[in-house]
Amino acid sequence: MTSDEKFYFSDSHEWISKRPGGGYDIGISDFAQSELGDIVYITLPETGKTYKKGDKIGEIESVKSVSEIYAPVSLKVLSVNSKLNEASELINSDPYRGGYIATVEPLDAGDINSLMDKNDYESFVASAGPH
Amino acid sequence: MENSQNKKTPLYDTHVALKAKMVPFAGFLMPLYYKSIIEEHINVRNNSGLFDISHMGEIIISGSDAGKFCDRVFTADISKSGPNQIVYSLILNEKGGIIDDVTVFKFSDSEYMAVVNAANTAKDFSWLNFQGSEFAKKGNEVSVKNISDEVGLLSVQGPKTRDIIYSLTGDNPQAGSCGLFSLKQKSKPLGELKHFEFGCVLFRNINVEALISRSGYTGEFGFEIFVPAEKTSILWNYLLKNSALSNLLPVGLGARDTLRFEAALPLYGHELDETINPYDAGLEKYLSAEKDYIGKEALKNIRNKAKRLIFFKLSGKQIPRHMQKILNENLKPIGCIASGTYSPSNKFPIGSAYVSDSSVNPQSLKNFFIDIRGNFEKAEVVSPPFYKIGKKSA
Repeated sequence: MTSDEKFYFSDSHEWISKRPGGGYDIGISDFAQSELGDIVYITLPETGKTYKKGDKIGEIESVKSVSEIYAPVSLKVLSVNSKLNEASELINSDPYRGGYIATVEPLDAGDINSLMDKNDYESFVASAGPH
Repeated sequence: MENSQNKKTPLYDTHVALKAKMVPFAGFLMPLYYKSIIEEHINVRNNSGLFDISHMGEIIISGSDAGKFCDRVFTADISKSGPNQIVYSLILNEKGGIIDDVTVFKFSDSEYMAVVNAANTAKDFSWLNFQGSEFAKKGNEVSVKNISDEVGLLSVQGPKTRDIIYSLTGDNPQAGSCGLFSLKQKSKPLGELKHFEFGCVLFRNINVEALISRSGYTGEFGFEIFVPAEKTSILWNYLLKNSALSNLLPVGLGARDTLRFEAALPLYGHELDETINPYDAGLEKYLSAEKDYIGKEALKNIRNKAKRLIFFKLSGKQIPRHMQKILNENLKPIGCIASGTYSPSNKFPIGSAYVSDSSVNPQSLKNFFIDIRGNFEKAEVVSPPFYKIGKKSA
């Protein structure tokens, strides 16, 4: 994550960030990938489908566990990162770029304002984390 | 999940300092992985890995009738084995259900040590202690002691393990002295120990004596090293300081599980529990025909196997998990998953399952389905193991 990019985080550890070319990307946070461990499988959301904030949009499976992925905002899926079908480990190695999950169009601009920015998310993880 | 009920091994602070992901397991806070289950797994297959398995239990059985007692409470022939040898065995209840699977170390005709699963230490000790007092009432001399808290146990596994362990150890000039233990029979030199034999070594530079056995739970060449609890971190740090000798990396319980499962070694709570008998689990060869043991009588009446353990692989990517249902080609439930994981050596999901539908012949079953959270994933029956020693992993 570089300083000129704005990432917003949900309390279920998804992020959303504006793409330079239009639309927004979503993914899971570095903290979330490190908690899951080696990711071996992901079910991606459906292109063209709309989801409400908090809806389950997919599943992510690591060697030891399965987690659900939720829509960080109400959104419509414009396209998915189909590279993850063959290389889900990109989420471990590059959670904020190569390991993004989908490109989406937020349906309610206000949703993003309710998310945490990077600093808030980092303190959230530090206080809610298991350590 | 973390609570004061969980015990810590002598290496807890060391694991935290190594930034391991710590999880509760069998009543202990244990490292699940340090960096990556897959990397740790592959490094054991190709080089060498260091495990903290101090959570496991050690129970000493001693007295002039200890051999006779062991032959009664364990299913395999124990007293017949030679000194400094290990025997894998089951402990059964009166109904033939599996209380635990253990390794039994023979020091002498009057002293043995059972190394037991961490989750079962208290149960095993109370069972063995009760059986010991019943045995003593009949005029036998035996005592049962749980020394688990005094013992630190490290495991070093993988094809390069010799390179580090041989370099750092020497014969102990104090013959027979192994830290917590003393051997009645002189130990073989380390390099001559065969699988399931043990002896004494001295880690020279740190002056730590240990009992060392050629054993493990990975399907690889390896050693398990028993030291006094307070020496565990000295030995762990010393081995890691010399990690370059074998590309040694610390390995957590995540990879311990994937390694043991590729080698088709059973895990208590998955392949084994008190509702499963040795025939169900395919462990008949650990039942002695030569002697009586607890559970033998009940096993005589078990003719039709109630369940049968099968192994399988998947072509899809979703991982089967413990207790999920398996179904035949008409989607009728026929059993459930014992273990399921991702195989880092093969790069596909693998598993084991108990077929409990008596109309299914496990020998002719080729394909079936697994209900993975509502998706019916196709599985193919294979013969274990999933990994054979000497095959390089990518």
